[in-house]
Amino acid sequence: MIESLTSLAIGFNIALQPQNLLYCLIGVTMGTLVGVLPGIGPTATIALLLPATFKLSPISAIIMLSGICYGAMYGGSTTSILLNIPGEASSVVTCLDGYQMARKGRPGPALGISAFASFIAGTVSIFGLILLAPTLADFALKFGPPEYFALMVMGLAVVAYLARKSMAKALMMAVFGVILGCIGLDPITATPRFTFGVLELADGIGIAPVVMGLFGIAEVLENLGVLRKAKVFAGKIKGLFPNREDWRRAIGPIARGSLLGFLLGLLPGVGAIVPQFLSYALEKRLSRHPERFGTGEIEGVAAPEACNNAAVGGTFIPLLSLGIPSNAMTAILLGALMIYGLTPGPLLIKNSPDLFWGVIASMYIGNIMLLILNLPLIPMWVSILKIPYSYLSSFIILFCLIGAYSLNNNTADIYIAVVFSLVGLLMKKFAFEPAPLVLAFVLGPLLETALRRSLILSDGSFLIFIQRPISAVFILFAFFVLVVPLFSKLRLARGLSEED
Amino acid sequence: MKKTKTTAANAVALFWVAVGVLVCYGATRLGLGSVTEPGSGFIFFWSGLILVLLSLVALAESLRGSEEGIPQIGEMNWVKITLVLLSLLLYAFFLERLGFVITTFVLLSFLLGLIEGTNWARAFGVASAAVLGSFAIFELWLKIRLPKGIFGF
Repeated sequence: MIESLTSLAIGFNIALQPQNLLYCLIGVTMGTLVGVLPGIGPTATIALLLPATFKLSPISAIIMLSGICYGAMYGGSTTSILLNIPGEASSVVTCLDGYQMARKGRPGPALGISAFASFIAGTVSIFGLILLAPTLADFALKFGPPEYFALMVMGLAVVAYLARKSMAKALMMAVFGVILGCIGLDPITATPRFTFGVLELADGIGIAPVVMGLFGIAEVLENLGVLRKAKVFAGKIKGLFPNREDWRRAIGPIARGSLLGFLLGLLPGVGAIVPQFLSYALEKRLSRHPERFGTGEIEGVAAPEACNNAAVGGTFIPLLSLGIPSNAMTAILLGALMIYGLTPGPLLIKNSPDLFWGVIASMYIGNIMLLILNLPLIPMWVSILKIPYSYLSSFIILFCLIGAYSLNNNTADIYIAVVFSLVGLLMKKFAFEPAPLVLAFVLGPLLETALRRSLILSDGSFLIFIQRPISAVFILFAFFVLVVPLFSKLRLARGLSEED
Repeated sequence: MKKTKTTAANAVALFWVAVGVLVCYGATRLGLGSVTEPGSGFIFFWSGLILVLLSLVALAESLRGSEEGIPQIGEMNWVKITLVLLSLLLYAFFLERLGFVITTFVLLSFLLGLIEGTNWARAFGVASAAVLGSFAIFELWLKIRLPKGIFGF
């Protein structure tokens, strides 16, 4: 513990350097902006800014990109409360009571409690990260290829289980993601695989054009021809500080939301969206007046907002200690770490302590920046929403094209982004979810290497995955997650839908 | 209407069956190796096979007429979508030939003026501002090398 605190002090020393403070500020501001704007999310933004970070030190770059992740959670709630439109998928639940609070003339306290809950939860998750990540990384040193393979299978199984539509379709997308991720040269024999003679595919398909297409351009295509005129809250927003009664009612939900979000964020595959629904459902169950939820209860804003922020901190633990991303957003960050020449995994903390502790310290500083900057700047974020969507959509397309191109300075990546925008659009229309595809796309090559090494280790026996205790636990969990829904209608997603 | 949607969902499931079969076929050509020494096509073959099985499950879901399998394909503006996709492909084709400034100006004017229906004077104005702004941000500030083309800008 003392060792961790000493390392954290060094981390603060790094994060407080003027250059890192500036990039932290840029990151959280960009995050808030994309959180406010519907149509472009943190995943596409990180991919877009990735090429711009090549000239920075890896620490400054990851500080900025992490800032986008948690900044987006703050920004997403603003549109949920004032417009009833979630800026991010992870702010959907905040609409239910946040917008009702605004309609009842209390937009200020709704925005205020949302920001404070986010800050408290962010703080909780950072301390969790400090305590757990190094311990987990030490534990993960015992992991061999079978354990990694089993862990990744478990992550993909959880993503499929949490799919809000068809679980079979989510699994299909995960498998398709693995196939796409493995395109390119065989890592062992260097044989070209499914490249169809196209030179650009020899290095595999890049994550940036895939994300730009699936999450950026596809969103714009879907909204073509749809008149989107946001009804921005017209009244003056005042009284951002919640009163004593608000605090009394909100403090319990904030604590529970923080804990729940952090713990669920730890699980590979969960991300920040599902914990928010669970947190809302939990508060509704615990409330003496569940019938009031959805009519402007402050608990219905505080808990999910705390939860989605804490979950972001939680998702950084498998990423930084195991090298396993939990969702599309952290999958891009994993790609970024690799581009900077770092090897994500249990040795990251030992080999690059400056990066690990510097990023953690910057997250705390970033949370303070968000709290200080966000509340006074809410009118400015609201005014940005008045920009016509026709302009925004064209700019989103432009930024996605630049982002896809500039990573390798290759127009082939623009073609890939365009192809995946059509794929993403069709996926939306045919009820296929993109998250399992992106996660599996990033995990695919790691999964393949782990599988092949495991089989070589075991002399071709698949039993290796259940003979080793850690991988057996992961495989058993994955099996449980995949098989239980076949016999039960009690799928979490269905339960949540009913809860909605 | 529901029958049309179910037919579309069935077609989608069959499409994925075909994709899975093709992946399996390609994998066998790459060489599956053995379980003691997996070959280049090993992961593709098993992934393709699982994809086929899952697609059959999705097909069964849509044949049962469950809500999850029903797509909403009819609600999109396919003419505009096709035009935008074509314009993006043309953008990729001309970007390195004509340079960032010209191709981006043409693309944005097209998207704003024709696709979004903004009046042309405003479309040209916004496109010019966006091109200059993005050039300043990406090329001058972030030092990302944008293609210059035959005109040198």
